[in-house]
Amino acid sequence: MSDSQSDASYFKEVVAEIEAEAQRRSSSGDYPRALLRSLDEEFRRWVPDASLENGVEETIRAIEAAAYVDPAVPVSSRTPVGRCVKWVVRRLTYFYHRHVTQQITALGIHITRPLRLLDASLKSVHRRLAALEDRFDVDAAARSELAAGISTFSSPEEFGEILSEHFSKVSGRVLIGDLHEVQLLRTLRDAGVNIYGVASTDALVEEVVDVRQENLFDHLGDLQNESLDGFVLSGIPDRGSVNEQLRAFRLLLLKSKPGAAVAVIVVHPETWAARLGPVAADLLHGRPMHAETWSYLLAREDASQVTVIEASDSSYCLVTANLP
Amino acid sequence: MTGVHQLVPTISPRDAVGNHTLALRGVIRDLGFDSEIFSMFRHPDLMSETHYVDRLPEDADAVIYQLSIGSPVAERWARHPALKIANYHNITPISLVGKWDGLLAAEVQLGRDQMARYAKVCDHAICDSDFNKSELDELGYTSTETIPVLFDLTQANPDPSALTKLKNNQRGTQILFVGRVAPNKAHHDLIAAVRALRELHNDDAHLHFVGTDGPPGYRKVVETIVTHAGMRDHVTFHGSVSQEGLVAHYLNADVFCCLSDHEGFCVPVIEAMHHGLPVVAFDCTAVGETVGDGGLLLTDKSPSIVASALHRVASDPVLTQRLRDAGRRRSNLFDRKVTQERFRQYFSTLLESL
Repeated sequence: MSDSQSDASYFKEVVAEIEAEAQRRSSSGDYPRALLRSLDEEFRRWVPDASLENGVEETIRAIEAAAYVDPAVPVSSRTPVGRCVKWVVRRLTYFYHRHVTQQITALGIHITRPLRLLDASLKSVHRRLAALEDRFDVDAAARSELAAGISTFSSPEEFGEILSEHFSKVSGRVLIGDLHEVQLLRTLRDAGVNIYGVASTDALVEEVVDVRQENLFDHLGDLQNESLDGFVLSGIPDRGSVNEQLRAFRLLLLKSKPGAAVAVIVVHPETWAARLGPVAADLLHGRPMHAETWSYLLAREDASQVTVIEASDSSYCLVTANLP
Repeated sequence: MTGVHQLVPTISPRDAVGNHTLALRGVIRDLGFDSEIFSMFRHPDLMSETHYVDRLPEDADAVIYQLSIGSPVAERWARHPALKIANYHNITPISLVGKWDGLLAAEVQLGRDQMARYAKVCDHAICDSDFNKSELDELGYTSTETIPVLFDLTQANPDPSALTKLKNNQRGTQILFVGRVAPNKAHHDLIAAVRALRELHNDDAHLHFVGTDGPPGYRKVVETIVTHAGMRDHVTFHGSVSQEGLVAHYLNADVFCCLSDHEGFCVPVIEAMHHGLPVVAFDCTAVGETVGDGGLLLTDKSPSIVASALHRVASDPVLTQRLRDAGRRRSNLFDRKVTQERFRQYFSTLLESL
């Protein structure tokens, strides 16, 4: 074995020993945990905002500083004669250089002005976005963790019969989404309703054929206007933000034909809070709207026969109506 | 006479790419070709021996572009009718500089864009390291070759006053890092490691940084960390130093430690090895292949692990001696004469037909 090879394997052994020793001392508490944590966190505390906001500001400042072009050419030289010659040339050509550099400086200033405007707009967008995030969102990880609690919600079976009756005279396509359990879909299909579901998870797709695994908003975005004969809005009223609930409602109205039969299934806000517990109820970015609110929204659209039906255990409400 | 010229966005004498470009001109001239350097921004000390980019002759037979940052100069190279050779020194990813320096971020992004665009127009490419080569290969460059950067390892005498001053202030382990104060060099990680060394191993260690300032925002943050960590008396920023001053630092230190997150080669590692300084480095990008079997390569740079490595090197004389010997052997592989010969062979084959 050459020196180089034996050194390489020796150094590898040493590194393994070092890493094992450091690991052992860290896990045994030999190294103070607070110190290790502070060493890891020290840099992260001071890293500038990832938004690049400061970078843009500094960049524009640097461009502004560079925008001024100095017509006074340096005259330093290794020899006094050289310095003298350069000085004379500078004096003789100053009128020319000044004329050129003034135009370049003017151009530089004109370029930096729109950059400043752009920077101000970006900052304004950043502020508004942050305000929106504060209003509607909590940390994404926390959201998914908290929202997992809602996936266990399922609407009462008794709604199947009521909805079968509600859609009995509808011959065209009826959409149900966002779908989270297939029982209601099966009941309506067995009752002869031409219904299909849109589910954001693929778990349901395997169970029944007429379920599309797609985000409801994406699906509605692709649908032609006035192509649905009816809809059942579910899932989103239980877990979406107010914004998402209203957006889904507006899109469904837009995609529905005049006279369409519509329904909204929504968990009772008190049931929702009780099932999720205080932490999730406080931190989730939205909460179910009351059945009265859905009635109000439908009435505002001039829907007729707006009816609110409460489940026998009061956990859910069903709001049905017919569009004008 | 056949003209084989070099284009470089910026040239200055105390810069790795600048020194390499000047040395490469010598190699090409020795092969009997006419060779000049053309640049957009020239250091005053190099005005007389370099030319402004506009002077690049249209009838040049081959043009070598020193690629290390985005620049309009690159377009001139790409449009030139001559044989086009790129000498790639790597470009720091925007993710490592974007938060600190907007202008630099724009330049590196432009550099990466140009690098991708020129895969089709570049005839041959020389890369400092296999890591750099793999980046170009991935972009579709067809003829790539790894030859290290040219740099001088000849023993300059140390600055005696600087060395005396450093020796007089010595207490615990003296740790050295040489490189621009920039986020990809991870000075902050070194500070954390030396703080861990001081507190976990009871070592009155001192950290020396030698190198010019990079993004001002980063330097400010590093100084804030030094203050908050109570390390003001144990960390010194020496800035840019003369060659003699640099040798004094290599001779004074006990360990050279590099925890960079991104390097295209890392000349200071080889310089440290050449001066018999044990090297401890974090194995990432091209650092691993530069250190090779001449130093300790860590796969984890947690402060406790780096501190343990530094402590082990400082307290184990057998390991220290083996690191010194292995480092010297390793540095010999990058001796200027060896690299010059590789460049000479490469160009004599490549330019044979010109």
